[in-house]
Amino acid sequence: MILKKSWTLPTITIVCLSCVFGLYWAAASRKTFRLPTTTSPPKRIVSLAPNLTEILFALGLGENVVAVSNNCDWPAEAVSRKKVGTFWQPNTEAIIASKPDLVITLRFEQQKAVADTLNRLGYKVLTLKVEEIEELFTAIQKMGEAADCIERAEKLAGSIRKKTNDLQSKYGLANKVKTLWVVQVEPLRIAGRSTFVNEMLELAGGENAIGPTIGQYPQIGTEELLACGAEVIIQSAMGASNIDRQQQAAESFWSKFAALPAVKNNRIYVVNPDTALRLGPRLPEGIEIIARCLHPDTAMEKHNVALQTR
Amino acid sequence: MSGIIEVENLSFSYSQRVILKTLSFEVTSGTFLAIAGPNGAGKTTLLNLLCGLLKADAGHIKINSSNITSYPIKKLAQIVAVVRQEFVPVFDFTVTEMVSMARTPYLGTFGFESNADKEIINEALETTDTLQFASRPLAQLSAGERQRVFIARALAQNTAVLLLDEPTSFLDLKHQVGIYDLLKAAQLEKGKTIVAVTHDINLAAQYCDEVLLLGGLADYHIGKTKDVFSPRQIEKIFGVSTFAGKVGEEKFFIPLGKFAKDSKHITSKPSNGQ
Amino acid sequence: MAEFLTPKNLVIKIVVCSAVLAVVMCLCALVGTQRISLENVLAGPGQGPGENTDYEIFVGVRIPRVILAALAGAALACAGVILQAILRNPLADPYILGISSGAGLGVIIAVLSGITWSFWAGSPITVFAFAGATLTVWLVWYIGHLAGKSQVTSLLLAGVVINAFFSAVIMFLTSILKSHQLRSTTLWLMGNITEKDPSVLWVSAVCILAGILGLFSICHRLNVLTFGQEEAKGLGVDPAKTRFAAFGLAAFITAIAVSLSGLIGFVGLIIPHAVRLVFGPDHRQLLPVSAIIGGAFLVIADTVARTIVAPAQLPVGVITAIAGGPFFLVLLAKYSRKVSWLK
Repeated sequence: MILKKSWTLPTITIVCLSCVFGLYWAAASRKTFRLPTTTSPPKRIVSLAPNLTEILFALGLGENVVAVSNNCDWPAEAVSRKKVGTFWQPNTEAIIASKPDLVITLRFEQQKAVADTLNRLGYKVLTLKVEEIEELFTAIQKMGEAADCIERAEKLAGSIRKKTNDLQSKYGLANKVKTLWVVQVEPLRIAGRSTFVNEMLELAGGENAIGPTIGQYPQIGTEELLACGAEVIIQSAMGASNIDRQQQAAESFWSKFAALPAVKNNRIYVVNPDTALRLGPRLPEGIEIIARCLHPDTAMEKHNVALQTR
Repeated sequence: MSGIIEVENLSFSYSQRVILKTLSFEVTSGTFLAIAGPNGAGKTTLLNLLCGLLKADAGHIKINSSNITSYPIKKLAQIVAVVRQEFVPVFDFTVTEMVSMARTPYLGTFGFESNADKEIINEALETTDTLQFASRPLAQLSAGERQRVFIARALAQNTAVLLLDEPTSFLDLKHQVGIYDLLKAAQLEKGKTIVAVTHDINLAAQYCDEVLLLGGLADYHIGKTKDVFSPRQIEKIFGVSTFAGKVGEEKFFIPLGKFAKDSKHITSKPSNGQ
Repeated sequence: MAEFLTPKNLVIKIVVCSAVLAVVMCLCALVGTQRISLENVLAGPGQGPGENTDYEIFVGVRIPRVILAALAGAALACAGVILQAILRNPLADPYILGISSGAGLGVIIAVLSGITWSFWAGSPITVFAFAGATLTVWLVWYIGHLAGKSQVTSLLLAGVVINAFFSAVIMFLTSILKSHQLRSTTLWLMGNITEKDPSVLWVSAVCILAGILGLFSICHRLNVLTFGQEEAKGLGVDPAKTRFAAFGLAAFITAIAVSLSGLIGFVGLIIPHAVRLVFGPDHRQLLPVSAIIGGAFLVIADTVARTIVAPAQLPVGVITAIAGGPFFLVLLAKYSRKVSWLK
């Protein structure tokens, strides 16, 4: 019916040609970021993730960091920098208004859209994937190249590696402690074996109580929970405030599962993930905190552990 | 415009129930035909068959010597217009918009009415005396006014054949007569072939040239109204006895039920009955 | 002499509405989390990035966003008009026949599969959402056809069944998502307008405008179709073919809108109503005006969404729901005498 009209065929042809043109334009204008080799080091850096901010400051580039994400809370100077939106929703306009010459982002969907827009406008964007410990070292190296401070980057990476290895030899080679790392209580979600949390756990001498799972942070049922035989339960705190209250709430929650060795021996710890689980320069400190939860013979009370993580 | 309807050996059934069986008749151009009969005799079914909505099981219907199934839907709409029982549409179209839709079979690509179309629409509105509420939504009109709008739409469609399904049910006396006057004028002035399903024998007798009395299945009678309508025939088809009278050449029929007033007391003036 | 809708009338109305839309778009592009001044914008681009940030923000960030909002709003409003006509129901919206759950399923599959490379212009989410929406729509049409020769009721039933089934699958898949994937899925499901590649915008604009043009050409047939199958046939309109064409095109432009901006509710339901209350139900007028008003509405809603809790952003679907309801009630109160189905 429409197909019989005289203008249908020309319209469809024009539409198809326009689409092809559009796709060609897209392919042609795809810019790839090349690390600057001859230009001067960047003076105005924007970081869109807390761990990236920490790395920048650790590399001594703190003065060049002009804007950070809302979630960047360490070191203290970072807090006073201009904010450009959250980790999940960076604000492109605010980023542009800070006139950066280097923007560092993480590789996932929401930040990718921002990165693409900035790329299109001609800004230099460095996208990093930091989801495992080994990737952290690659990231530090890449940031060193981008900011023209390769030696400092190597030094930083080296020092983190050394501290991590030391911790591993101190704690990691002893008997493995079966640990359950709880990221969410309702519904119950744990950190599985393919997460970097697990990596840190193993470096600290622990072993995930739950076997390999499909998802990285799966929900587990009561049956599996009771069967896992966890000796220590570490729970991620929700926010940094009221760790004491959270500790009490956690203990009362877990009292239901009296069958677990962790509950019987009262080895339940609430830990601030922003401090302990940040894949950045403070990685060794995080591992240490975990290790102290797992090996109480280093004589640390729960309360002190909580204090340490504030 | 010529609108010749030829029906030959028409048979139709809904699933297992046979409605029409070997029905044959012819309607010459410019005739006003009434279709009457008891409920369930197949009047509306026949109408739906005549406008191409239903397909016959056997036999065929020809309009202007071509089989009805051979007409593309748009062409058929230029020849046959249908007025069904009035209804209120889901969206609030105005009277003008409603009548303008009659020109759809004639419109071009984007469906805007030409000046000729507009003239036809205006004429239809004037003829049916609905121009006064041209801008009012259909829902605000009374049943009688709505029915006139539907007829205006059928008239604006400018077809040779006009089919109507009980055009005067739910209408008061004034409107009943008004509608039939309209239809008769369309027949006489424009030469339209009009086929109306009706329950009103008297109006049919007065206005229609011919009548098709459907008794159900193969029982049917067609002919001039004065020939077909008789008390005996009516009693046979409807099962109701009537008192027939004449006013001049016009026949009228008064139904006599169980509790009807004593027929002996009814006298006909000025001439005798039958 | 009765009054008619002439091409001249319609063109004037469209031009006036388009002018209003253009003004709204420009004004909204001047509003945002960063204050920019019009003179700086007009000063043009600087030598390199960072020279004239006002210009960059206006042209590089806001204009594409505003264009996207206008396109999505137009597509959704038009689809709403068409579906209300086909289903003869003023309460239909573009998602009623499975598009929403189909697109949602496509998105979750894209997110789960972890595909990161882009298909030329579109991200995986865009492409999968479009594919999901389109395939689901055809599935619904096919089932409706099998069930009852594409009668309206069987279409609706098929849509409801598919929506329910796919929603269950979506819920299952959601439970095995990682946290950041979950976030992006949730945002998408609430309707989210972000900055996109100009080439994506170009392709979408061409497709949506072509779709609207195609729908416009059958609008006079849709007028007749709203009276029902029998009446339509009596007036020379083939109901099955018209429904098929209308549905196909409406589904196409909705799938594009959904793949770009997620599931934005309310626009497809409210805008046709509002325009119908003011301008009347003649689809030749209703369709283009709804497109323009729908675009303007979504542009304004998006502007509110990105500024009201600055620097954070609300999903635009929240704003359309909150604003849409009362706005419509006001219109209804004012024009209720025109609405027959309220009596």
